[in-house]
Amino acid sequence: MAEVHVIGQIVGASGFPQHSLFCKWGVHTGGAWKLLSGLREGQTQVDNPQNEEMASWSHPIDIHFATKGLQGWPKLHLQVWHQDSFGRCELYGYGFCHVPSSPGLHELQCVTWRPVGSWQDQLSQLFIGGGVQLKNSDLIYSGADRYRLHTSAMGTVHLQLGVILRHFDRYGVEC
Amino acid sequence: MASTTNLREKIKSKRKALQESLTRTRDDIDTQALVNSEMGTNKESQQTAVKEIADNEEEQVENLKRTLKAQRQRRKKPLLEDATDMPTEELVEDLSTVVRGKRTLPPISLSSPRTSYAEFSMRERMREKLKAARSKAESVLQQETSSESLRRLKNLRDAETVTRFDTELDDDEFRRSRDNVSPLSSRVKFRDIVNRLKQKPQTQTGFPTAEEAYNFFTFNFDPEPPEEKPKKKRRSRQDQEEGEEEEAQEEEEEEEEEETAVSGEQEGEAEKDEDAPLVKDQDEDLFIIDQTAQDFLEYKAAECEDYNSRLLKEKEVLFTPSILTVPASHKVPENKQPRFLEDEGLYVGERPEVSLTNQNILENRLLRQEEGKRWFGDDGRIMALPDPIKESSTRPPVFSLEEDVDPALETVYRKAVKSKYTNRYIVGAGDPQGDFQLDIDVSGLIFIHHPLFSREHVLAAKLAQMYDQYLTRQQKNLTSLLTDKLHALRNAIRNITEQHDGQILNPVMQHRIAEYKCEIRHTRKLRDAEQEKDRTLLKGIVKIWKEIKALRDFQRFTNTPLKLCLRREAVDRRADERLFESEIQAEIHELSEEFEEEYQKQLSEYKAKYAEWKAWKKKQKAKRKKKKKQRAEEEDEDGQEKESDEELGEEPPKPDPPGELDVAALEQQVREKANLSRRKPGESNLIAELTSAGNVTPNELCPRGEIMRREDTLKRSIYTKVLYNNKEVSRTASRTLNSDFRVHFGQIFNLKIVNWPESVKLQVFEMVGSSTTMLAEVYVPLPDTTVLTGNAPSEELEFSSNQRVMFDHEGVGSDVPFSFEADGSNKLILLTSGKLSCSVSWAVGENGAPLVPPMSQQTGGIQSAIKQLDAIACIGTSGVSDMKKLAKWAAESRLDPNDPSNAALMQLLTIATSGEVQIPDFFRLEQLQEEFNFASEEELQRSKRFRLLELRSQEVAEFRNYKRVPALDREISEKVFQEYEKRLREREIIDTSDHLDAHRALVAKYLQKVRESVINRFLIAKHHYLLSDLVVEEEVPSIGVLGISLFKLAEPKRPLKPRRKERKKVTAQNLSDGDIKLLINVIRAYDIPIRKPNTSKPSVASRSARSFTEAFAAGQPSQSPTQSSDWPLNQVLIRPFVEVTFQRTVRQTTTADGPNPNWNEELELPFRAPNGDYSTASLQSVKEEVFINVFDEVVYDVIEDDRERGSGIHTRVERHWLGAVRIPFTTIYFQSRIDGTFKINTPPVLLGYSKERSLAGEGGYDAVRCLSEGSYITLFITIEPQLVPGETVREKFDTQEDEKLLQAADKFQKEAALKFPGRQCLTTVIDISGKTVFITRYVKSLNPPQELLDASPNNSQEASELVARFVSLIPSLPDSVSFAGICDLWSTCDQFLDLLAGDEEEHAVLLCNYFLAMGKKAWLIIGNAIPEGPTAYILTYEQSQYVIWNPSSGQFYSQYDTFCPLQSVGCLVNADNVWFNIQQYDTPMRMSFDISKAKFWKPFFSRSFSHPGLSSIQPEELVYCRTDKAAAAELQDRIEKILKEKIMEWRPRHPTRWNRYCTSTLRQFLPKLELNQGKDVGDDHRMELQSLLGDYRISGFPIHMPFSEIRPVIEAVYSTGVHNIEVSNVEFALAVHVQPYPNNVLSVWVYVASLIRNR
Repeated sequence: MAEVHVIGQIVGASGFPQHSLFCKWGVHTGGAWKLLSGLREGQTQVDNPQNEEMASWSHPIDIHFATKGLQGWPKLHLQVWHQDSFGRCELYGYGFCHVPSSPGLHELQCVTWRPVGSWQDQLSQLFIGGGVQLKNSDLIYSGADRYRLHTSAMGTVHLQLGVILRHFDRYGVEC
Repeated sequence: MASTTNLREKIKSKRKALQESLTRTRDDIDTQALVNSEMGTNKESQQTAVKEIADNEEEQVENLKRTLKAQRQRRKKPLLEDATDMPTEELVEDLSTVVRGKRTLPPISLSSPRTSYAEFSMRERMREKLKAARSKAESVLQQETSSESLRRLKNLRDAETVTRFDTELDDDEFRRSRDNVSPLSSRVKFRDIVNRLKQKPQTQTGFPTAEEAYNFFTFNFDPEPPEEKPKKKRRSRQDQEEGEEEEAQEEEEEEEEEETAVSGEQEGEAEKDEDAPLVKDQDEDLFIIDQTAQDFLEYKAAECEDYNSRLLKEKEVLFTPSILTVPASHKVPENKQPRFLEDEGLYVGERPEVSLTNQNILENRLLRQEEGKRWFGDDGRIMALPDPIKESSTRPPVFSLEEDVDPALETVYRKAVKSKYTNRYIVGAGDPQGDFQLDIDVSGLIFIHHPLFSREHVLAAKLAQMYDQYLTRQQKNLTSLLTDKLHALRNAIRNITEQHDGQILNPVMQHRIAEYKCEIRHTRKLRDAEQEKDRTLLKGIVKIWKEIKALRDFQRFTNTPLKLCLRREAVDRRADERLFESEIQAEIHELSEEFEEEYQKQLSEYKAKYAEWKAWKKKQKAKRKKKKKQRAEEEDEDGQEKESDEELGEEPPKPDPPGELDVAALEQQVREKANLSRRKPGESNLIAELTSAGNVTPNELCPRGEIMRREDTLKRSIYTKVLYNNKEVSRTASRTLNSDFRVHFGQIFNLKIVNWPESVKLQVFEMVGSSTTMLAEVYVPLPDTTVLTGNAPSEELEFSSNQRVMFDHEGVGSDVPFSFEADGSNKLILLTSGKLSCSVSWAVGENGAPLVPPMSQQTGGIQSAIKQLDAIACIGTSGVSDMKKLAKWAAESRLDPNDPSNAALMQLLTIATSGEVQIPDFFRLEQLQEEFNFASEEELQRSKRFRLLELRSQEVAEFRNYKRVPALDREISEKVFQEYEKRLREREIIDTSDHLDAHRALVAKYLQKVRESVINRFLIAKHHYLLSDLVVEEEVPSIGVLGISLFKLAEPKRPLKPRRKERKKVTAQNLSDGDIKLLINVIRAYDIPIRKPNTSKPSVASRSARSFTEAFAAGQPSQSPTQSSDWPLNQVLIRPFVEVTFQRTVRQTTTADGPNPNWNEELELPFRAPNGDYSTASLQSVKEEVFINVFDEVVYDVIEDDRERGSGIHTRVERHWLGAVRIPFTTIYFQSRIDGTFKINTPPVLLGYSKERSLAGEGGYDAVRCLSEGSYITLFITIEPQLVPGETVREKFDTQEDEKLLQAADKFQKEAALKFPGRQCLTTVIDISGKTVFITRYVKSLNPPQELLDASPNNSQEASELVARFVSLIPSLPDSVSFAGICDLWSTCDQFLDLLAGDEEEHAVLLCNYFLAMGKKAWLIIGNAIPEGPTAYILTYEQSQYVIWNPSSGQFYSQYDTFCPLQSVGCLVNADNVWFNIQQYDTPMRMSFDISKAKFWKPFFSRSFSHPGLSSIQPEELVYCRTDKAAAAELQDRIEKILKEKIMEWRPRHPTRWNRYCTSTLRQFLPKLELNQGKDVGDDHRMELQSLLGDYRISGFPIHMPFSEIRPVIEAVYSTGVHNIEVSNVEFALAVHVQPYPNNVLSVWVYVASLIRNR
């Protein structure tokens, strides 16, 4: 019965090797959560800053959840993609972060990574673009055995999330 | 100060000594040089000595120790002497000698590797000595502090450095004497002195410059000279006592020593204080200028510490442990032997590996520390734990990626791909797993006929074909299968009868037997047919073979290797005969049984009928008797009598008894049939075998024609092109044509596809030399998703071409008649044809996964939204999409469950019938979820707030744009959901009470569904934004635009000529309530009916049948005379005003006078969008209409007392409805403004009013005026601010039309739009299932209901009017409302009649089709009309003039009618063609409708693109159901009841009285109105009401409308405002009439009147 309202934005990304980035995002919750309104997932526009380090998206996020319990607190998972000069899209990074559990405005920085793949993959990635992607993107946030993957660190996605909690105190959850 | 003066003196003396020595050196240069060189060598030797020391340390240690001892002993003496204040010069001298002595000392080669003991003893001794030395030194120091001069101290230090110099070489010794010594090298020793010297002056503040000079002097030169200097100094010191020299020499010295020029100068300066006069004498000129600067400035050299000095300093601070091994004795406690635990047998772990040097360093360092020894164990080694490093790693190994990865961790390499937007592409086609591949296997082709066939080939092809057929039949062996079945069935019957022998069969068994019998009959029939076919086929084969043989004989050569063998299979004659006979007997038996059954049935039927007949006869007789009696008695019961008479009116025919069975004839029949179709008993089985073993005659033996043919054949080659979606993707290699006309390609093409497969086509090409001709195109059906490469069967696709080919040789050609007969009779024409064997299938990937695109995707998009709803399904007829229906069908059609071909179906059915597909067992993912939940699921569901929020976000119609959801549950009332829940419930239940008619209720439901799905679709489409939706960029003005605006500036100003300014358009999104207003400018009206005095007595107008010409030309002249006669006498004013109602807001104009009022008033009505949603979609679906009602304001004097007349006015204002115009809001929204003259919908009869027909004396004008009947109103309507009408969603719909046709249509439309952008050009439309259909397919002559035609059999004019009326009675429902923002959907006529709702297009198409069926020339007009906007009308050609019909009102207009609502004509359509209007004008009045004129009309199908023979999509024939009259009557009653209730409801404050008499009068009158279609009945009617009119003042009128549902009827009655009369004594009359038309079309008349009794 408690409600969580997440209002914010995906501000942008920095630290990626190339510009011209966009981001696909989604929110994953446990079974006890119910989406009342808002979009669970989305995609930003492609931003190609000319003389800045950071790609800005300022993509709005406005989700309203109702929940029966605390389990499965919403997680935000992100995929950063790069659009090259031919208009092709390739994966640049996966990342996820929990929606903050305290009310108020939060500035989050979500670091991202991407799988490296074999040397053949890397070679072809160098020449013809594309890249190794996860077959099941659930791994981004579920990730039991993620350490086994060979990955390389990519840039950071900056988020600004305002969290409004409601009725948690009724159930003895202090926030 | 004493010390400083002392020091100064010392320095002075020092300098003097130096000068002296210098002079000396100058004096005897030779010796000096000698000394120098000696010194150099000395130094060198010293260096080498050092080197030697480093080399053999051991030796040197010994050596040095000895020298050291000697030195010390020597030193002791001076030290002792020192105490007695001895001059130290000697010591210095001694020191130097020592150094020299050391140097001179030969390296003692005492090679004695002493034992540690010896060393030890040695050390002991040394220690003792050192102690002694120390004590001495201490005492010396004490003395020094008390009174010693610095110089002596320095000497002492010097002495110390000597020892230091030695100790540095011996570590041990050095360490022992660490307390009082610091390491110094021999060279550094000197520096130390320098340092002391430097420090000295700093303490004595007097001479900084001198100090500097010295510093500079000593530092900045090579390491060599400093060696010398001290010696010089020392020398000078030695010579100090010898005496003083002249100071002039000093300068000389300066001059000589060039390198010390500066320092010399500084020296001089330094001496200023003391030797001021001297300096002044010498340097007077030099220092005059510099003197001041010297005071402030200080010249300093760059400070730089030498590397060595730095090292030296560091040495002071740092401690570098030695890397030498520490002897064990040092490490163990004193007097202990190291103890090795390992040797004692204790376990000692392996120590970690440490390099020896590191270990040594550590040990050395530790030993130096206090209690350093405790770091060492008993064994003398550093204590250490055993080596912690394990041999093998304990971490779990990380497997490499290649082998066996967790499926969750799998990664895939994906190429960078462009994202695709259009849905024609398969989503995910670029993904590696989204590879979709079609395999097209073109195996080969066989010609059934080819132009190069010889006659023999023709026959051979035929034979081969028949043989193929024969083989397939043989393989299937249907005959024997059916025979077996027959036997089985017979056996079954026999079994049953045997089992229940003698017993009475229970009904189940009986039923079963009957079924079996029926089955037997059926099977037998089939078997017989099959047998016959087999036989004829065999006969045919034999016949053709004979023909071939004959031909071969005739032409004397063989072309084909075909050879037919007939094999005989002998049979047992007797058994065969028996079988045959038994078969026949069985058949006869069955037949006779059957016949018997039939006979019995007929007989019983006959009996029943006969009994009936008899009964009737009896009754008749009785009745006759009775009648005779009754006739005499009463006349009244006559009616009843008649009825009963009618009941028995028809005399049933006397039945005939059925005939008897003739067994012989039956047998005869059976045998005949058997002979014909079956093998005769005993006749051997013939089996045909076709082989190609025969010989072909070689070329040499053939006649010339044949040779030429064969050569020609060899020249040809065939290849095939593969076209995918009409694009050539590949082609086969070309193969030459063989003599057997078979081509084998055997090529498989793998097509990786990205686009959705639309068509796969193979084109067969023939190549002769270099020229190629296309023989045929073969469309290959697209494979089902289940057809995969492995299992795809090869299909044979037949093709043919109608190309005409002729040869002058033996080849028979194509499309050319030829004959096998010699005389040329019996000609045959054969076309090139053949069979292409190929297969198309979906490829299978490496891992066995089929590369098939997911089918669900394809159904995305608009098509699906509409497709999901089967157009007619909801009305009851549906395909077999339902599982249950399928199961039912399967049960009914008795599918053989054992037939393998039915297996799949049967399985499906068992699943379907056995219930739902089993839900697989699941496990709970979050086990502890329940325990930790705050609230239960139910609680969550119950929350009203959550529900509201969810519904809002789902954009459910009721909650879309719902604002301000309350924060607390209790603030939300239950009422919010009521409407929604009701709607949900109603979706299933069909509520007939609201609709009065079950059929219409269904239709309404269906339309609701379509509407919902379309709106949902639209909502989704709304979320797809284009760039232009988000980015608004002002266009940069071009030169041209700028030029024009500049030019405009120069134009003369014309203030009196107002210019139309384009209003700014507002996008709907940022609007709110109250922003939008509807502006209605009511300008004027014409021909409003005028009041008629009650007393007037109209004459009966004769109503004659009018022809079209009459109607248009003369109007109603019949009325004119009567009217004109009345007119001048009793002129009654009419005071009309206009009231506009929109969204329950009412505005009205002022009252004007006369029948042609002029208001010119602007009315402003606010507009509120539903739910405050001002989005385009929502605005488009606004259903409300603007009602513009014209009323007459009547003022009655209500003063009852005549006496008051003078003093007061007491009147009552009444308003009488005269007519209305209805304009839907959507029309205004789409057109943004409506400007024009509209016809007022006036009721056919207005009680108390009459139409002013003519004005006296205006005969000429009258004729023109009377062209129109009815009243008109001029209006201008617009929305403020102007809204941007929504873009219609342009999506490509799928279609079954030919691609070429669509392209042509596209082109045609584009050209038309380019030339005449305003004109509508319609070539393709969308049908109800969302497919694009060419428009001409809608036009087809269809039969109108026969009743309508029968009504006026000899008057086509009337008939067509009636038909038009019928069409107009079908309720109109504009598409733009129901399919907001999508497009027009065109339904076919049968769908239209089923739905009983449609907009103008459907009406127009239906009317056009009816007219065509009635033999008229009719076209669809696509154009613009008022107020509908873009619409469709009908054009007919009657009696040499064109007539325009409005299909939704049923009215017709002449081409030259001024008030024709049709404003412009875009194009004309009929079944054959579409013509686009390319005339200058498009108003019907100013254009020609002669479509044969090419300059006026541009046809779509012309010579260049001929009509491809498009078939109509309309049904063959329309079937009409008769409307139930009783239902209509019932409906009529119900409507009347509802309306009466409503009127009472609307008058809550007054009693509503109903005048029954008037009502009944009105009710009688309504059918007449219907009969006359509301024309010209006013006068008759008035006559009838005459009786009433005398007593009452009546105002009322009939309203007519097509029936769709009850709500519009109520709305219409309400809008007239009849109920608004508030006179106390008013009475009402209301009559309803429902006239049924075929196919449930109903016409509703409502007559409302208010009566006020006249006093």
